Amino acid sequence: MRIIAIITAFLIFISLYLIFGYARIEGTMLEVQKIFYYHVSAALTVFVAFGVNCVFSIKYLIQRKPNDDLLAVAAAELGIVFCTIALLSGPIWARYAWNTWWNWEARLTSTLVLWLMYIGYFILRSALEGDRRRLYSAVLGIIAYLDVPIVYYAVDIWHGGLHPDRGTKWSLETTMQYTWMVALIALILLFTFLLIVRYRMKKAQARYQAIQQQHLTEASS
Amino acid sequence: MKIAILVSFLAVLIIFFFVAQVPITLTSDEVAKAVSEATSASGVAVDEEVLERAVQLSVAKLEEGQRTRLKYLASAYLVIWLVFILYVLYLERQQQELDKRLSQLEQASEGI
Repeated sequence: MRIIAIITAFLIFISLYLIFGYARIEGTMLEVQKIFYYHVSAALTVFVAFGVNCVFSIKYLIQRKPNDDLLAVAAAELGIVFCTIALLSGPIWARYAWNTWWNWEARLTSTLVLWLMYIGYFILRSALEGDRRRLYSAVLGIIAYLDVPIVYYAVDIWHGGLHPDRGTKWSLETTMQYTWMVALIALILLFTFLLIVRYRMKKAQARYQAIQQQHLTEASS
Repeated sequence: MKIAILVSFLAVLIIFFFVAQVPITLTSDEVAKAVSEATSASGVAVDEEVLERAVQLSVAKLEEGQRTRLKYLASAYLVIWLVFILYVLYLERQQQELDKRLSQLEQASEGI
């Protein structure tokens, strides 16, 4: 755990140094293009986070282990955090590049829908209790994940949007490519670190509730 | 958890350190000197005063553009780290609450 924290912190510092001190300034958008490194990395981390949620939701439905549900919830929570980052940093970049804060184009709209679906996931969880909560939220987690490929392929499905083609990020200049790779690894590691922290906390909370319930039962009997 | 908060704050400081290094500001004396050197080196007779004014206006326009771009860049990274910091603070608060409940439970168990 400590090793992951140290490597994550180190990679974050390295990525920030590379972004501001090493990567070449892009010719069209100049310094503003540097938003790309964390914006795109955060967006890709969202896919990983919701992917973890989907995998553990399926696992819960098959094995019915409460710990799988806890891991799925922790991943969904972090997915929302990273999705919020992508949704907030995007408009700042868009304001300069496209002269608008928001545009109802395919990728932006599908990302907002994705964010809203996982907000709905937590609203559903807060409205239910026990096994029903775990079961319904696992089903919703799997359904919500269907929006991830739509977000990813939105620029191919609906042409004419403002986002560039999917392949653009792979054809970057070498210094930009290295910088983006380090930023992406740093954010995925940060997600992994926070996921472990959140999962342990959720597990401790669940255990506390179980002990408390046991105490109440003993006291009443 | 405290390490994560510290890292977040340090990351924000590093961003501002690097962003502050980027702007290149030219003073009017530097512009005048550069124009004077360029015209004397080229050997072409030009109105230095007009040329200096034109260069100063160009530099001011370029600086304004760069300031605007850096404003957007700094705002984006500030927002990104603000979200992380708020989330880490939320986790810290949750942890404190859990610790408090656990100690209450321990006390209750000792009482029994």
